[in-house]
Amino acid sequence: MSTREDRERLELLQGTLDLLILRTLIFGSQHGQGIARTIQQTSNEELLVEHGALYPALQRLEERGWISAKWGISSNNRKARFYSLTVAGRKQLGKETSKWKRLAAAIGRILEAQGG
Amino acid sequence: MFWRKRNTSDFRDEIESHLQMETERLREQGLTEDDARAAARRAFGNVTQAQERFYESRRWLWCDHLWQDLRFALRMLSNSPGFTATVVLTLAFGIGASTAIFSAVYTVLLKALPYPQANRLVMVYENVQLPTYQNRRNTPSPGNFSDWSVQNTVFENMAAYTSRSFNVAGNGEPMRLEGELVSAGFFSTLRVNANLGRVFSPEEDRPGNSRVLVIGDALWRGTFASDPHVLGKKIFLDDQTYVIVGVMPPGFHFPDPDDQLWAPLALSPDERINHGSHYLNVFARLKPGATIAQAQTQMNLLARRLTELYPDSNTGVAVAVVPLLEDIAGPVRPALLVLLGAVGLVLLIICANVASLFLARASARYREIAVRVALGAGRGRMMRQLLTESLLLALLGCVLGVLLAHWSLGALKILAATNLPRAEELSLSSPVLLFSLAISLAAGVIFGISPASGANRGNVQDALTSGSRESGVASRLRTRSLLVVLETALGFVVVIGAGLLVRSFLHIEQVRLGFQPEGLLTFRVIPRGEKYSQISERTLFYEQAIEKLRALSGVKAAAAVTFIPLTLAKGRKGFTIEGRPPSGPGQLPMAGYEVVTPEYFQTMRIPLLEGRDFSWSDSPETQPAVIINESMVKRYWPAENPLGKRFHQAGPDDKFPWMTIVGVVADVREFSPTVEAEPVIYFPTAQFTYTNGILRDWVVRTNGDPERIASSVPSAIWSVDKNLPVTRIRTMEEVRSMSLAGQRMNLLLFGLFAGLALVLATIGIYGVLAYSVSLRMREIGIRLALGARRTNVLRLVITQGMRLAAVGILLGLFGSLAFTRLMAGMIYGVSSTDPLTFLAVAALVVVVAVAACYIPARRAMRVDPVEALRYE
Repeated sequence: MSTREDRERLELLQGTLDLLILRTLIFGSQHGQGIARTIQQTSNEELLVEHGALYPALQRLEERGWISAKWGISSNNRKARFYSLTVAGRKQLGKETSKWKRLAAAIGRILEAQGG
Repeated sequence: MFWRKRNTSDFRDEIESHLQMETERLREQGLTEDDARAAARRAFGNVTQAQERFYESRRWLWCDHLWQDLRFALRMLSNSPGFTATVVLTLAFGIGASTAIFSAVYTVLLKALPYPQANRLVMVYENVQLPTYQNRRNTPSPGNFSDWSVQNTVFENMAAYTSRSFNVAGNGEPMRLEGELVSAGFFSTLRVNANLGRVFSPEEDRPGNSRVLVIGDALWRGTFASDPHVLGKKIFLDDQTYVIVGVMPPGFHFPDPDDQLWAPLALSPDERINHGSHYLNVFARLKPGATIAQAQTQMNLLARRLTELYPDSNTGVAVAVVPLLEDIAGPVRPALLVLLGAVGLVLLIICANVASLFLARASARYREIAVRVALGAGRGRMMRQLLTESLLLALLGCVLGVLLAHWSLGALKILAATNLPRAEELSLSSPVLLFSLAISLAAGVIFGISPASGANRGNVQDALTSGSRESGVASRLRTRSLLVVLETALGFVVVIGAGLLVRSFLHIEQVRLGFQPEGLLTFRVIPRGEKYSQISERTLFYEQAIEKLRALSGVKAAAAVTFIPLTLAKGRKGFTIEGRPPSGPGQLPMAGYEVVTPEYFQTMRIPLLEGRDFSWSDSPETQPAVIINESMVKRYWPAENPLGKRFHQAGPDDKFPWMTIVGVVADVREFSPTVEAEPVIYFPTAQFTYTNGILRDWVVRTNGDPERIASSVPSAIWSVDKNLPVTRIRTMEEVRSMSLAGQRMNLLLFGLFAGLALVLATIGIYGVLAYSVSLRMREIGIRLALGARRTNVLRLVITQGMRLAAVGILLGLFGSLAFTRLMAGMIYGVSSTDPLTFLAVAALVVVVAVAACYIPARRAMRVDPVEALRYE
């Protein structure tokens, strides 16, 4: 459920959330709120991450063995669940990234062609 | 690793920590505590849904859901006990009836016979196709049996048997044991061995060697008190000493469930080449790999060779190889399948009815469902919930239905004992229970899916905003109307079936049997044994016993006969008429025959049309005399006076004495009320010397109720010979009634189904009209306010009901035409498209529909326009 007062943001494409999570975790382990923040900030607040959708995604990635999780203490002294990339996750990230780049490039070319 | 799952509280903690961190961050940006908290929640989205989604991802979730759904369903159902009871009860009736009928179908048509590899067992018959006689399943002659069993290469074993009862005299009352005379291969063909001792050796299947006996388990446990030393014991049957050599395992019987003992058939060398008399039952076991078709082909080749060898006896005689199961089940198969069809239709009607009830309730629950969807319940989940409810109801119906089936099987066993083979095996075996479960689940899905899919289609917004008016009303009324049309159509078909059976039964009741069963008592006494080996000794016994019977008070006349009518037993003979050109092979005139004492016709009240009755003075010393029936006169002396004409038994070359026709009697329905009379020759007992002419059945004409003298019959017989058992004491009415047991069972079951179908259709029509009237209150009020007469309103409602009924009847008409065609073999004297039945049933359904319309119509008539317009 998006809220009205948020300025218009891009909704995430199906399946891209997983990729973004993996990408975020490449800099080290992070908890869910941190991941959400990072995605939003790195995208210059362009991307909307519904925080509620994040957790089932984390759950999914964990089940696939791409990330692992353990409870720890956050920078502001809160108990939080920290996620980190596994070896399989790192590999998956590589695959997904190149796939995504090819896709983006292809779509870009098509849009350019029509626009020209 | 799937079972090391995070639990829900861990997940909740994580979300909580997220919300706190987000709140803190927002506070740092300058929001108040409350605003920050709210914003964090907003950004998070639907917390519950996130938790839900997490929860749903767990593997064992469906189990939890099932439990939840079940609890919820139970709560819903116990909240509306009336609805639940109605649905469960109607379902139970349908499922119970279907289960009982399927149990019969399974036991009789599908279940393997209780012998090892029973599907390799076949009956082998003579297939006789002659101008004078046709029978696809004629019992083979001993000569044919002997030749077949030696010459064939498709059977691993072939055996013969013929039923035989034995008189047992001992301490106390004499009794008769039913048994079989069997050839040596009998038990090895069945692949059943004795439980105790042994079965017969081939050496014992020869004359002079054959006084050995294998007894059944029941006889061993009963008469012999499970004596472990029973082997070697001597037992006197028909004055002969037999030695018991074996006891069969419990539950073994073949061919007849009543059989208690088996003795060697021991065909004499003469008998082994007798191709003329046909009295054996022959069965065989196919060699591994051999097919029925192969066996059939080879046996027909063999039969052709035998025809060349014995043209007199074997012309027109081919072979029919019939799987044993088919042989046993064949006669009742069509009726059973039609009954299964009928009960299936009833079950469908019930499903339609329950679906209609569900729809009615769905109207009420529509908002509840919409609210739950709005609160975030997944649609699949809602669907599951509704299906859980309907399946739960179906399963409850199944349990109760199986219970009903259990009880009705008891009734069915009694009802079907005489006409349904293997009736004693009827039970709720696991395949039957599986069937019952399967149809219950199918029914649950059928009547559960319609309201569930309605809920799924429904628009949440509409349902929530439409206030008190229910939505989807029109479509639901349409669906319910459709269901009612379907119910009426199916009901019509079942009632037509019942109607045809009623008409047919009335027809049978009116068939003139040719004798008068009222006031007639019958019983069985068979004089066998040493002292009755000569015909003169037997004749003397008949004469004396009849004298004693006549002396009983209330007895008008008494006589004995080989077999009374309506018991399906009759011998046949070929004969040669004096002065006619000799018949070629296979052209020999044939007729059934009975041997009788004097006064048989008088006792039975069979009219003597011409000539005289037999008397005790018709003896071996006097001129051979016969009496023939009308059919025989019509066939062989159509334009002549038959009295004084002569014929002799068998073919022209056989040297038999000429017999003179001394009388003509009216035709009697010998086999069953539905089988036309055939030519019959009656022989006087004293002149018929063969042992197969022993008189078995006795008839006594009484002044009043024949039951009254039943108790004095045995002592009358025993005053002549105290060693002869007296059995099967019944009134002739009972015999007649028993010969119609099959028809009666069909009629009763069909009547039951038809009644059920009619009631259900009535309820269906009533329900839809009541619903529609309640929806049209306002419209009716306006009509009345604008000056419509109340009779107009009445007509309005009735017309609506009639339209549904009319469409149903029309559809049912087409359905019936297809269905009743399958009933052709079950009905007698009435066509399967009998216009009278169709008209009467249509009228009945119309009357029932009008009755169903009446109450809603009256309610509509009484609508107060003011009230109706104020409504809402």
